[in-house]
Amino acid sequence: MSIEEQYRKRAMELLSGGAVKMVIGYGRGSNAERRRPVFISSPEEVNRLVLDEACIANLSGYLVNEGLLSDEKRVAVFLRPEGIRAINILAAESQLDAEQIVIFGFDVSGNEVKALKGIHVEEFEDVIGAIKEHAPEMGNEELLEKIEQMNPQERFAFWKEEFAKCIKCYACRQACPMCYCRRCIVDSNQPQWVNTSSHSLGNFEWNIVRAFHLSGRCVECGNCDRACPVNIPLRLINHRMAQEVLKSFDHFAGMSKTQEPVLASFKKDDSETFIL
Amino acid sequence: MTKILFSDKLDKCVERWKSAGLTVMGPVQRANIKTYAAVEHASEFDFGLILTDRSIKDLFFPQTEPMLRYTIKKDAINTDECLPPREQRIIFGARACDASGMAIDDPLFGWDYKDEYWFQRRNESVIVTIACTNADEFCMCTSLKMAPDSTKGSDVLLRPLENSKGWQVEELTERGREAFKTIADLLQEGSDTAAPVAAVAEKFDLDACVAWLQNPENFDSKFWKEISMRCIGCASCTYLCPTCHCFDIQDEGDTYSGIRRKNWDSCSFALFTLHTSGHNPRSTQSARWRQRIMHKFNYFPSKFNANSCSGCGRCSRECPVDMGITETLQEISKLSQ
Ligand code: SF4
Ligand code: SF4
Ligand code: SF4
Ligand code: SF4
Repeated sequence: MSIEEQYRKRAMELLSGGAVKMVIGYGRGSNAERRRPVFISSPEEVNRLVLDEACIANLSGYLVNEGLLSDEKRVAVFLRPEGIRAINILAAESQLDAEQIVIFGFDVSGNEVKALKGIHVEEFEDVIGAIKEHAPEMGNEELLEKIEQMNPQERFAFWKEEFAKCIKCYACRQACPMCYCRRCIVDSNQPQWVNTSSHSLGNFEWNIVRAFHLSGRCVECGNCDRACPVNIPLRLINHRMAQEVLKSFDHFAGMSKTQEPVLASFKKDDSETFIL
Repeated sequence: MTKILFSDKLDKCVERWKSAGLTVMGPVQRANIKTYAAVEHASEFDFGLILTDRSIKDLFFPQTEPMLRYTIKKDAINTDECLPPREQRIIFGARACDASGMAIDDPLFGWDYKDEYWFQRRNESVIVTIACTNADEFCMCTSLKMAPDSTKGSDVLLRPLENSKGWQVEELTERGREAFKTIADLLQEGSDTAAPVAAVAEKFDLDACVAWLQNPENFDSKFWKEISMRCIGCASCTYLCPTCHCFDIQDEGDTYSGIRRKNWDSCSFALFTLHTSGHNPRSTQSARWRQRIMHKFNYFPSKFNANSCSGCGRCSRECPVDMGITETLQEISKLSQ
C-alpha cells in the first residue's frame, strides 16, 4: 500500500472514530504540479487527500488559526520534519497543546516520499536530531555561498536590490507558522514602531525586524520565500540567523516541545561576545 | 496593406522617443522579477513574457507615494503638496489585460474626487499594447468578455507578425497617433500577416456568477467559508492585481515635521476594516474574501458599469495557497447551475 493510501486509511479511521475532528493535508491544485491545503472533516472526503513529492508547503501554521483548537479536540496534520519542528516551537511558546496534534509525518527526497513513524511530536526527536547533524540541501547553496563571499558593502548592495522589490504584501509573514502574533509589530500604530510605507527604509525595517524575530525560531521550511510574489530569497536570511544561533548557543530550533526559546532565556555560560 | 513596425527598427524608435523627451518603459526581467521598467535600449525589453509578475498599475499608482510634507512650528503650520514628477512616458509592450485594467480604474479615481496623482500619470502616458499570441493556463481575459487583443485602455495596438519580424500597427487614440508620428518614417507599409491571437479558454459563466452574487441570500452562504478556508490573508493577490486600487493615508514623521503618504492597502488584511473600538465588521478571512469578490463583480459594476477584473490571472498564478478569482468563480458557476 502506498503512503498515500495508508494515510487516507488512517485519516478515515481517526475521523470515523471521532479521534480527530479534522485532518489538514494536501489536495490537488489548479494544475498538475500544484498541491493545495485541504481541510477534511468527514470520513467520506478522505480520498481528496494527496501525498506525493509535490507536497512541500508547511501546513503547521493553520493549527494556530483563531479558535481551531479551543474546543480541546484533536486535529491531524500532514507534516514534513520542518513542520514537526514548528509544532515543537508552537508548543514551547504556549501557542498550542501538543497533545491535540496528531501527526502524519513524511519526508521527501528526490521523487520519493517516505513515511515517518510516530503520531505525537515527541516521537520524532531522532529525526530532528539527524537534521541538526546533517542539514538537507535547500537548493540555494550556490547563492548562499556567493553572499558569504561578499564583503559587507557588496552584501548590503545585494539585499538593497532585493528589498527594493518588496511590496509589503506580508505574504512571508502570513505563510510563516512562526509569525502567529495576533498583532504584528508593523501593524501597531500607537506608537507606530515601523513605517508602514513600502519605500527603501520601510522595506529594510520590515525585513530586518522579521529576521530578528525569526532568529532561533525559523525551521527553514521555505514557506516564506515560496510565498513572496517578488522572489526575494527570504529563507537565506533566516538560514544565516539559524546558523548564528546554532554556533553561539548550540540552539537548533524545534528540537523538543519543552525547548526554551533562545531569545527569551539565558544560561550563565552564554557567550557574551556581542556585549560591548 | 497595413502599417508595420519591424523589430529591427525598434531601437531607433526608442532613441527617437527618448530624444522627444519621453521616458520609454516596457516589460523586462530584472533582479529575478518580471516587471515594467524604464529602458535605455530596445534590447532590454522581454517580449517573450506571457505576462509580467508585477502589473502595469505600479506605473500609475505606485505602492507608496508622498502627498504632502508638513512642518509645525509654534506659530505656523506649513504644508507643501507633492505631485508626481512631470514625465511624459511611452509604455511599449503592455498586455491587453493590463491596459484595460487602467481604463477600468479611471472612473473610480475620477468619481467624487479627481485623483490628481492618477490622472497626471494617465494623461502623461501612451500605452502601446502587444496582442498576446501565447497564454498560460491562468490567463482568463475571455472569461471576462475581453480578448488577447482587446483595445480598451490602449493607445496603440500591435499585432505580432506571423514571421516574428515585427508588428502590425493600429493607432487607436490621438495620443497614440501623436507618439507614432515621431517614428512615422520608421514604419513601413506591408502585407505581412499577423499571427493568430492566443486561444484562451473560457473558464466560467460570468453572467451566472454575477447573478448569484447579486442575490442577497448568497451573502451568508456557507460557500464563502469553504472556498476561503486556506486563504492566509496576505496581499499578494490584491497588490499584483492591476485593478485593485485600495489605499491608506499614513503620516510619517513626528509632531514637528513629516510627510503624508498614500500607500497600497488590501481588503485581505485583518487590519483593513478594524475599528478603533476593536470591532471588525469583516472579522473572518472568509468575510474578507467575499468582499474581494463582491467588490469586483457586484458593487463595482453596479456603480461603474464594468467588472473590476481584467482577467490577467495574476491572483491565481501567484497565490501562495493556490486560490484565486478563477477557482471561486468556477465554483460559483457550478452553484448557480
Ligand atoms: S521564516 Fe520562512 S523558512 Fe523560516 S519558519 Fe518562517 S516560513 Fe519557514
Ligand atoms: S512576501 Fe516578499 S514582497 Fe511580500 S512583504 Fe514579504 S518580502 Fe515583501
Ligand atoms: S487568496 Fe491567496 S494571495 Fe489572496 S490573500 Fe488569500 S492567500 Fe493571499
Ligand atoms: S482579480 Fe485577478 S485576474 Fe482579475 S485583474 Fe485582478 S489579479 Fe487579474
